[in-house]
Amino acid sequence: MKTHSVCFPILATLALSAAVTIANVSNNNAPRGVSPSNAKLYVPDNVNNWSCLDGSKTIPFSAVNDDYCDCIDGSDEPGTSACGTGQFYCANIGHTPSNIKTSRVNDGVCDEECCDGSDEYDGQTQCPNVCEEVGATAREENDRIQSVQNEGARLRRGFIKHGKANKVLLTNELETLRSQVDHVQLALNDARDAANEAQEAYLEGSKSEREATRKQQLEPLIQEQTKRLKYASEVRDMLKLTLQSLKENHNKNFHDMAVKGTVSGFDDYIVAQGEKTETVEDDLATLSSDRQFDALMDETSVVLRDIGTLHDLLDGMKRDYNTEYNDEAVLAAVKVTDDFEITWDSSRLDFADVEHLVLPEELPVDSPEAEKFRDAMDSAQEVFNDASGKESKVQEGIRDIERKLNMDFGPDETFAQLVDNCFDFKDTEYTYSVCLFGDANQNSHSSTHLGKFSGWEGDNYDVQMYTGGAKCWNGPERSVKLVMSCGTTTEIVSVTEPEKCEYLFKLQTPAVCPIPEGEVDEQEHQQEQQQVEEGEEHTRKHDEL
Amino acid sequence: MFNRPRMHRSRPPLPGSASRRTVLWPFVISLTVVLMVSAVKQEDFKTCAQSGFCTRNRAYAELASGTPDWESPFRLDPTSLQLEDGVLTGDLIHAPTSSSSSAESGGALNAGYTIEVHLLDSDAVRVRMNERDPKRRRYDGLQKSVLVKPLVSSTQYDQLGRDEDGLFTINYGSRRQNSARIRFAPFQIEFLADGVSTLVLNEGGLLKIEAAQVWSDVADTRTRTPMERRLEQGMWSERFKDIIDTKPRGPESFGLDITFPDIEDVYGIPEHASSLSLKTTRGPGAQYNEPYRLYNLDVFEYEIDSPMALYGSIPFMLGHSKDKTAGVFWMNAAETWIDIEKIESTSGSSRRTTRTHWYSEAGVLDLFVFLGPTHRDIFKQYSSLVGTTALPQSFSIGYHQCRWNYISQKDVIEVDAGFETHEIPYDVLWLDIEHTNGKRYFTWDPKQFPDPFDMQLHLANKGRKMVTIIDPHIKMDRGYHISKEATDKSLFVMNNHLKPFDGWCWPGSSQWIDFENPRAKDWWASQFSYDRYKGSTNTLFTWNDMNEPSVFTGPEITLPKDAMHYNRVEHRSIHNIYGAMFHAATAQGLSTRNETLQRPFVLSRAFFAGSQRYGSVWTGDNKASWEHFEVAAPMLLTIGLAGLPFSGADVGGFFGDPEPELLTRWYQAGAFYPFFRAHAHLDSKRREPWLFGEPYTSQIRAAIRTRYSLLPFWYTLFQEASMDGVPIIRPMFFEFPSDEATYRMEDQFMVGEALLVKPVTTAGATQSEVYFAGNEKWFEFYDGQVKQGPGVQSVSSPAYKIPVYQRAGTIVPKRETPRRSSKEMENDPFTLVVALDSKGEAYGRLYLDDGESYEYSRGDYILREFKVQGSVLTSRSLNRQESETEWSFIRRYSSLKVERIVFQGLSEPVSRVVIDGRPTVVESWHDVAGKQHVVIVSRANLSIGQDWSVSLS
Repeated sequence: MKTHSVCFPILATLALSAAVTIANVSNNNAPRGVSPSNAKLYVPDNVNNWSCLDGSKTIPFSAVNDDYCDCIDGSDEPGTSACGTGQFYCANIGHTPSNIKTSRVNDGVCDEECCDGSDEYDGQTQCPNVCEEVGATAREENDRIQSVQNEGARLRRGFIKHGKANKVLLTNELETLRSQVDHVQLALNDARDAANEAQEAYLEGSKSEREATRKQQLEPLIQEQTKRLKYASEVRDMLKLTLQSLKENHNKNFHDMAVKGTVSGFDDYIVAQGEKTETVEDDLATLSSDRQFDALMDETSVVLRDIGTLHDLLDGMKRDYNTEYNDEAVLAAVKVTDDFEITWDSSRLDFADVEHLVLPEELPVDSPEAEKFRDAMDSAQEVFNDASGKESKVQEGIRDIERKLNMDFGPDETFAQLVDNCFDFKDTEYTYSVCLFGDANQNSHSSTHLGKFSGWEGDNYDVQMYTGGAKCWNGPERSVKLVMSCGTTTEIVSVTEPEKCEYLFKLQTPAVCPIPEGEVDEQEHQQEQQQVEEGEEHTRKHDEL
Repeated sequence: MFNRPRMHRSRPPLPGSASRRTVLWPFVISLTVVLMVSAVKQEDFKTCAQSGFCTRNRAYAELASGTPDWESPFRLDPTSLQLEDGVLTGDLIHAPTSSSSSAESGGALNAGYTIEVHLLDSDAVRVRMNERDPKRRRYDGLQKSVLVKPLVSSTQYDQLGRDEDGLFTINYGSRRQNSARIRFAPFQIEFLADGVSTLVLNEGGLLKIEAAQVWSDVADTRTRTPMERRLEQGMWSERFKDIIDTKPRGPESFGLDITFPDIEDVYGIPEHASSLSLKTTRGPGAQYNEPYRLYNLDVFEYEIDSPMALYGSIPFMLGHSKDKTAGVFWMNAAETWIDIEKIESTSGSSRRTTRTHWYSEAGVLDLFVFLGPTHRDIFKQYSSLVGTTALPQSFSIGYHQCRWNYISQKDVIEVDAGFETHEIPYDVLWLDIEHTNGKRYFTWDPKQFPDPFDMQLHLANKGRKMVTIIDPHIKMDRGYHISKEATDKSLFVMNNHLKPFDGWCWPGSSQWIDFENPRAKDWWASQFSYDRYKGSTNTLFTWNDMNEPSVFTGPEITLPKDAMHYNRVEHRSIHNIYGAMFHAATAQGLSTRNETLQRPFVLSRAFFAGSQRYGSVWTGDNKASWEHFEVAAPMLLTIGLAGLPFSGADVGGFFGDPEPELLTRWYQAGAFYPFFRAHAHLDSKRREPWLFGEPYTSQIRAAIRTRYSLLPFWYTLFQEASMDGVPIIRPMFFEFPSDEATYRMEDQFMVGEALLVKPVTTAGATQSEVYFAGNEKWFEFYDGQVKQGPGVQSVSSPAYKIPVYQRAGTIVPKRETPRRSSKEMENDPFTLVVALDSKGEAYGRLYLDDGESYEYSRGDYILREFKVQGSVLTSRSLNRQESETEWSFIRRYSSLKVERIVFQGLSEPVSRVVIDGRPTVVESWHDVAGKQHVVIVSRANLSIGQDWSVSLS
């Protein structure tokens, strides 16, 4: 008992001092704002000096955290804002420790990153310690994210499985289709030849008959058009003559710019005329009635254009020529122009409008003889259509599979599951849609194309670009950046337009949920195994066919 | 913001041609279409020849210069003169002489006019001329909006009477140093300072006052010479493009020549994208064909180096030469043009004389003459009339981040987070028109900004503010409370038929508040109360754009001149002040929305003389080009010289996409604009400071941090400007007024007296030619390298910095801790950077207050003077009141510390530094190349609010 009574205080003191020592190590030894792992960097040397961490300067250890910045790198003030460039450590017990910039120490703001409030200690601002609360919320949130990620990863494994299997499937299917190409091509060629032959037989067999009827039908139109062309040609020649005469006879000493302009315009016209390779038409009479009529129409419109050009030249001069010169050649040309303007209008009316000379439909005039040819032709056509349908189906199938096989679905084929899947997002004004690897659109009463899939951005397979959409007024072509995040369903969660005509779609999808490391290999291995089996099975099936 | 290109602007088909063309063929029409595509923006705005009164007054000037021995037809009736209580009055008679008789045929002149000359207590002189008995009352209501207080007549003058030359002279000023010498016939007033002729009115005989008349007065106009036709052009109506100005009052313009004898350089009359020293517009070799125009307009992608009118107008001009300086304020808010001509001196001086010719479309001739004697005195005199800059909210001199548009609350939070991540300080995030519910101002888009309180709080937690745009066009919509109330209270501008005017602007069909109506201002201000402006908080401030006003469907994209304001005032008479009245009403709204008055912050695009009392302005819709960047400096210097110091240009350029180098260089220069904001157009790429990556992010961060480190210096300059009316950024000549080499220098400028800044406005340039004025040293701001003036030297300007130098003889206060916002720097210690001159002296000041209230006006502020003399730095108080302890700001902040003092330019090594009696260890070194010694006193630990001394020996 006695011994005890002596010993006890000593023991107690020892225990106490031990406790204090421990406390010193964990708290007091590291200057304010220094993390435990960096505490060893803040130890004075044997003369109680200390060197800036960049080695640039040596200062008394007492100058550490004295609220005056000595070191260029700011390392002497980890616990004050004097340098503002260093890191301040918040222990955040109950949550996760963090580092904030020392410029945020004692700046009057309770920084979120520093939930323990240790960043504001100068008494100007009271920051409560909210780490327990924040920590709990964060843990909850972490749990939620974790469960989304777990579920997402499970779904993604399904995507990967599907993607890999699908690739094998498509490869096989492509092979099958390719093997059919020659066959359907051949059938198509045969059917085409047969159809052509039947058509020729029909045309040949009924030619004279049809031509005669058509000729009768078009006769009055051709006559009318010939008349018009003649009249127009005369008018054109008259205008040309007028200009030619103006060119030769106007008084060049006046240097009337309006006249000069017209004459040089006329010269240009003549040069342009010369450059035009005259299309020497076959003798009209040898042509079919339809081609005869077309040729006349073409010729007329050329002449009318000429009249327009020539009149423009004359009219330009008429408006601006100097009336004081009284140049007779000019006055004559003006007179012609005036007359032309008065008469041309009314004579055009006589013409009736060219547009109204509508070509009548060919009438079905088949004789019983021709009827037979026509039936043969129709059935050959049917065979051809059928063959053509088969051929294009095979070709389309090949194209479609090739497109899919050429697409970059990520290293593990995750995105094959989503190809051509479409998603909508309803805004107040618009509904936005994207078909993955296809097109993005903005729809209201009408649809605006926002872009076509043009590739992945970066190497992470989580950002897609859709480019080359409809051009904005006074701006670029519209485009979409589609950013993906992990979720248990695939859907668009927001659409914004951060810059004019550059849209940002946010899509959540299991396809980007992280798959825990290590698991991938195993999974892949299993899947590969499976795919090989499936593939083999598929091939076998095909062989059996 | 600019006018979205307007569909309705395509040219209509020419009448008459259409029917004939149908004869021809469709291809003819396609040619015409091609011709219509190229649109020239200049076409939207009038040239002098398209403006009736400009043509008439310019023709009169031509007539005068083309007439040998031209004499003004105006004479003063000697018997009518009376000088009483500082006001001279008299009758002015229009009596055509033979030389001027042909001009009389204009028929628009009245015989009887009055003249008043007011000698004011500020040593300024006001000269007014008016019709004695006008047929129609001229608008004379401008002073209520422009002048800051009723004018007081001077008692300090002597009347000398007529001398042997028949001149009537009055000496005035405290020393009677100024004289006004009046000649009767032809009428002329010459102002002399200390006996030297400094400014002359009507020396060129161009005085012309058209009688405001009624239609029946019009003389027979059948036979007219071309000159006569020009003298009468557009008197009764005038068409521009498709819009007719009906001019129901007929002609009422007036003009006068103002001559600056032997003064070659004149400055001011903003706003133009032009040079600092104004160019000539008349006479042989004139640099511009058109006169400078003052008419507030919304100009789409304005042209550089042009006298075309822009968004704001201040009819104030300063003339300056080595030995004299004079100012004139032409108080008129109607459209005004100014011709500038340089003519040979008549006094035999080698310097030329500048003759200016001013003409306004309506109102009365009312001008003020300031004779200094120094240019600083002129600013004191001018600002005593129109007011000095209001001391701003201190946050507003920090950095502002703007874009058309941050599209949602989420966007705002993300941009804010970007600044956090990249550790770039900023104070204000701005929301352009898209934040509203369908361009109805005072509302929020409910979907994109569902919780404006929360958004503002998120920023306010870090000491940051927000600004929303509030424009003067009000969407026509009975369901919109502003539109309904203003309609019910008849507060909208009317058209010329006295029906509500409606025009087109952002919201579509819109109306404009009539601020000429005395009830409009208070009503508008009341809209800013927190219960009316839902979702606003005390950290939300305002941006007034489009207040020229911009009217997409109006003539020259503004209100028609014959639109009607309250009391039948034509818009013509008050056009140039409309934007400032709107600005004033908004500022009132912000300052009165709290229980105690708080300082407003309102940015405006349009401005007039006096706008400095309401807030800041910017140079409008500039472009992301090196040329627009370069012209920003002379534009801002000019606006400052016109009494409006709080101005900036959009950093980066509003239209287009700046390359990263341009953006960075612009930030480096913009950090030295009084108003420092980056802004970008809707069609441009995002360009927040971190988006171009390194090295640009670091360079921009450094530029913005430089601004923040100098905030104490800037705030002190604002306080000085609020007292003396001086500019904050100053042309070189302002600080070196007798150095003629600086008179046309506009590519470098001074911030206050202390800092020299040279923007780097050439791509790829890493060397800059800097002019070091004076015979003293200049210390590089970042590394302390010394340059010796005077002369041009090539200095390095690498990508990460532009040349900034501290002038010897100054002390610059700084705060060096890099914080998130200005608010968070409130408790930080100061660094004083002392640059000693060759006498070993230096001087500087520091002003501090709470940055938001008006308590300073009662004495709650800290104003210190720092002075080095005889190797001792002292700090003493310049506070006016003594009872400092009763003030809460002083009590709270006077113990803030000066932690560091840097002495540069010491001629001898320092062995001992004693602070208030206690010796201190310091760092010091000898800068051999700079021929100086440098000492850094660290841990000075001196209280900012107390007197102390630091002696070096």
